[in-house]
Amino acid sequence: MTDQLDRPAESTPAPAYGLGNSPLRTDALPKALGIYPYAADLWAEGLLWGAVLRSPHPHARIVSIDTSAALAIPGVHAVVTAADLPAQPVDGGTAPPSDRGAERPVLAADVVRHHGEPVAAVAADHPDTARLAAASILVEYQLLEPLTDPEQAFNGPALHPNGNLLRHLPLRHGDQEAVGEVVVEGLYQVGRQDPAPIGTEAGLAVPRPDGGVELHLSSTDPHGDRDRVAARLGLEPDRVRLVVTGVPGATADREELSFQVVLALLALRSGRPVKMVLTREESFQAHGGRRPALLRYRHHADAQGTLVKVEAQILLDGGAYADVSAEVLGAATAFAVGPYVCPNVAVDAWAVRTNNPPAGRMRGEGALQSCFAHESQMDLLAARLGLDPLEIRRRNAMTTGDSLPTGQAVTCPAPVGTLLEALDEVPLPALPLDDPDTPWLLPGGPGGAGDPAAVRRGIGYSVGMVHMLGAEGADEVSTATVRVSGDHATVICAAVDAGQGFATLARQIVQSVLGVSEVYVAPVDSDQSIAGPSARGRHTWVSGGAVEKAALMVRHQLLQPIAADFGMSVELLSIADGKITSYDGVLGMPVTEALEGKELWATAQCRPHPTEPLDEAGQGDAFVSIAFCAMRAVVDVDIELGAVRVVDVTVAQDVGRALNPGQIEDRIEAAVAHGVGAALLEDLRTTAGVPHDLSLTGYRLPTSLDTPEVRIATLVEERDVVATFGAKAVSAVPAVVAPAAVAAAVRAATNLPIGRLPIPPQDAVAG
Amino acid sequence: MLPTSLAEAVEALGTSPAAVPVAGGTDLMEAVNAGRLRPAALLGLGRITELRGWRYEDGGTAVLGAGLTLARMDRPDFAALIPALADAARTAGPPQTRNVGTLGGNIATAAPTGDTLPVLTALEAQVTLAGVGGTRDVPVSHLLTGLDPIRPGELLTWVRVPLLHAPQVFLKATGRSGPARATASVALVLDPARRGVRCAVGAVAPVPLRPLEAEAWVAGCIDWSARGEEGATPIDPAAAAAFGEYVATACVPDGYGADAASGLPPQGPTAAALALRRTVAVLARRALGRALK
Ligand SMILES: Cc1cc2nc3c(=O)[nH]c(=O)nc-3n(C[C@H](O)[C@H](O)[C@H](O)COP(=O)(O)OP(=O)(O)OC[C@H]3O[C@@H](n4cnc5c(N)ncnc54)[C@H](O)[C@@H]3O)c2cc1C
Repeated sequence: MTDQLDRPAESTPAPAYGLGNSPLRTDALPKALGIYPYAADLWAEGLLWGAVLRSPHPHARIVSIDTSAALAIPGVHAVVTAADLPAQPVDGGTAPPSDRGAERPVLAADVVRHHGEPVAAVAADHPDTARLAAASILVEYQLLEPLTDPEQAFNGPALHPNGNLLRHLPLRHGDQEAVGEVVVEGLYQVGRQDPAPIGTEAGLAVPRPDGGVELHLSSTDPHGDRDRVAARLGLEPDRVRLVVTGVPGATADREELSFQVVLALLALRSGRPVKMVLTREESFQAHGGRRPALLRYRHHADAQGTLVKVEAQILLDGGAYADVSAEVLGAATAFAVGPYVCPNVAVDAWAVRTNNPPAGRMRGEGALQSCFAHESQMDLLAARLGLDPLEIRRRNAMTTGDSLPTGQAVTCPAPVGTLLEALDEVPLPALPLDDPDTPWLLPGGPGGAGDPAAVRRGIGYSVGMVHMLGAEGADEVSTATVRVSGDHATVICAAVDAGQGFATLARQIVQSVLGVSEVYVAPVDSDQSIAGPSARGRHTWVSGGAVEKAALMVRHQLLQPIAADFGMSVELLSIADGKITSYDGVLGMPVTEALEGKELWATAQCRPHPTEPLDEAGQGDAFVSIAFCAMRAVVDVDIELGAVRVVDVTVAQDVGRALNPGQIEDRIEAAVAHGVGAALLEDLRTTAGVPHDLSLTGYRLPTSLDTPEVRIATLVEERDVVATFGAKAVSAVPAVVAPAAVAAAVRAATNLPIGRLPIPPQDAVAG
Repeated sequence: MLPTSLAEAVEALGTSPAAVPVAGGTDLMEAVNAGRLRPAALLGLGRITELRGWRYEDGGTAVLGAGLTLARMDRPDFAALIPALADAARTAGPPQTRNVGTLGGNIATAAPTGDTLPVLTALEAQVTLAGVGGTRDVPVSHLLTGLDPIRPGELLTWVRVPLLHAPQVFLKATGRSGPARATASVALVLDPARRGVRCAVGAVAPVPLRPLEAEAWVAGCIDWSARGEEGATPIDPAAAAAFGEYVATACVPDGYGADAASGLPPQGPTAAALALRRTVAVLARRALGRALK
């Protein structure tokens, strides 16, 4: 590993390349050295600094805004409020479904609906001046009662012209009268996890001579962001150009629209480049996190533990604006039962509006909340029936061909049973008490207050699922261009590699198809063709598919003339290590020679098969494909202090095909860390809509000491025939499953119910 | 300003009292970066080598320089001298901040979660403050409670800690395994010469709290002669548990965490108070157990 880090991968490609190998990211070295540029490092001649004024109240009417004091400050070049933006239809009007921020104002005009909502913005020649000027804007608020309890949203006053109900899904499947011999009930709560990207929101806007603007942003959806910014500014999309800079952390989406529009507007108003970097506090206020959830479940089973019926009520707190709550609710509902066969299901799920911080898109959002509940229920059922937790899961495990409660048949591989078996085969980590020579990191950490006598070990299991690609009729498409000239190839595709590794994969695909080792991936901007957002595990499939198709077309162009010359079919030629060879070994021609100094290129699109929205009974073929994961967590709990340490997490995952095993393991480790955060630490807590502590001291991210050893029991490679290369997305599903596994393990260690995530220490005190 | 001697620094601060001293900068720069503080001038203390070590005075006292880093205090030689202070320094944040963060900075910041503070309180340490007019010694508890604060133009120079040559323990509960601020901490030191137990609870109130009655009570429960002997039990486990409860009830009021704005009189201890008391009781009991082992 270190050996590879010593030399830049770009100039000396790793010996093993192509699909199935694990080449290093080309940006690994610059990132490790701290020389990789992010948006916060950008600079332009004569730039101004932007600053935003945010609402200190979770709910208030704006009576008046007086910007005169700010304008009077020397060095201030522009002050903007909602009045400086073209009027938008308040309900989002006829905005296309892709415009998920449509009902959310860029700058609050008449009402603020959450703490930290942007109200005005300033551009000045110094960051301090900008902040000072923003603070000097006088906003007269008339305070309104904040609605912060999602259960009150139904009967409370409407917080928005669109009402408080963002979506209701009443799913009914099978016989509603069915009852089981055994019934278990539970109430579960999930907190507000924040994406907390390690680099805060930052960007640079440069006005263009044609009246447009060029934005340099760490966008994960360049065309979507371009279109939304243009729409808010009343510009044609081609007047906005978006250049993607390095992305310093993104769990799915990254920046909130308001930040981007305000930045562009300040540049247009001042006629100067404007740079804005949010503080950590503002960053927490600007981006959306997970939806806090309340889940009430009743499972019916027969005496053998076979599921008879599942009833569930799911309430998601979407915060002040709709965002993707409707889509998330669809996932929470469809996966409410988990990867199990259950003939009869009744789910009522609601996403509601409150005056809490607006939610956004996170890994496995919706599925994670349900997974905690259905897995907790399976453990309750196992305990009631005296069954082993693995056994109850085995008895109900779904396989290919079974149907979801939405009526959709699961046609992709669903190797749930195989995953469970694989977990069982991995030996448990040794108990330090049995082996006094191993150093034992007690719960509470090194130098903590841990006492071995009060430590109990617990083992928990969980299985979960998540869909890939947009669901319920979302149009999924990506485009890529592949070019070969000389001894190298170039990929042009607007799929942003936010760290998930798409650029590496694109290189591997081209290496495999064209047999050239030197492959460059062009930086992304919105002049390229649309590839769509880096979210929902879509790029491996759609953009990977587009890259493969384009590469295959180039390959054909390259081989066709040679095949014709030799009177053989193209299929009898192969390319490897920069050389074209025929099946009989007669021909051996370097690719560079075959090119004859020409450049070959092709552009291709990938569009997976369409899906349909869930109907009013929650039925429909809403998903393109589904990925599964099973996990075993081992925890140590200090049952007197309630401190938990996750010792080991063993993962068995359905990956379709391991295109880059090293990268997959990294993604699983990252997702487990994310899941451990959701299970034990991460919660952006609020009182009456006001967050407690918007800092990384108050908001606790897992550190290396909090994250467990992650072991891969197996990566199950059953090709998903409809997917590109048969591969499934890998990043989201372990994050969905990990919190439930940790909770199950804590439950096993303490014999306590554990109904809340993250688990507060007092919930794990059993002494 | 980057003075290289203490005298120079005191002099500089005397002439520009608006200057803010900066040692490791781990607290100060956070406030500056967040825009909460805009110092007119900074007085860097990093080059005053005399403040970065310690010395002994009349046999029984260690005089610690304010510039001693938290990382330095964690090393074995220091840990042998004042074990509880070493324990506190070891858990006070991640290595990067402990490498530069100082004892003086931790005291001057006086955060409720300052980890050295309960230890210094239990040890009944004194701090030396130096100004152009001269120096004065103040009990650390007076400094922290604001009874006798650092005055403008004064520098915190030395921390005087009595050497007790007996077990002492600092325990911190954070609810996680990685570095974090305390939800509660307990420092407990034995003073065999006076047959005393001194204890301070950190992070539950703005300043460390001393449960004096619980200290006196538990000192009477200890079989001081059996202490340190092989196989002896210097205290009945039930008494140790009762001590924990005693400390917790003394330091965590019934109304802890209650919404003060509600105006309602507390109906018995709040859930938050009960949870915190539980934590404090466990820490105090464990600390006593370890000190007497
Ligand atoms: C990530 C992180 C985690 C942390 N975790 C913890 C933790 O777990 N526990 C904990 O206790 N602390 C923690 N801290 C806080 C901090 O590291 C400590 O308080 C440290 O001891 C401060 O020392 P310093 O030298 O950096 O102080 P500085 O930041 O230099 O100064 C702090 C204040 O003290 C004043 N000051 C400094 N020296 C003197 C002097 N000699 N005379 C008069 N005034 C002086 C300064 O003017 C300033 O007001 C953490 C900090 C960070 C950044």
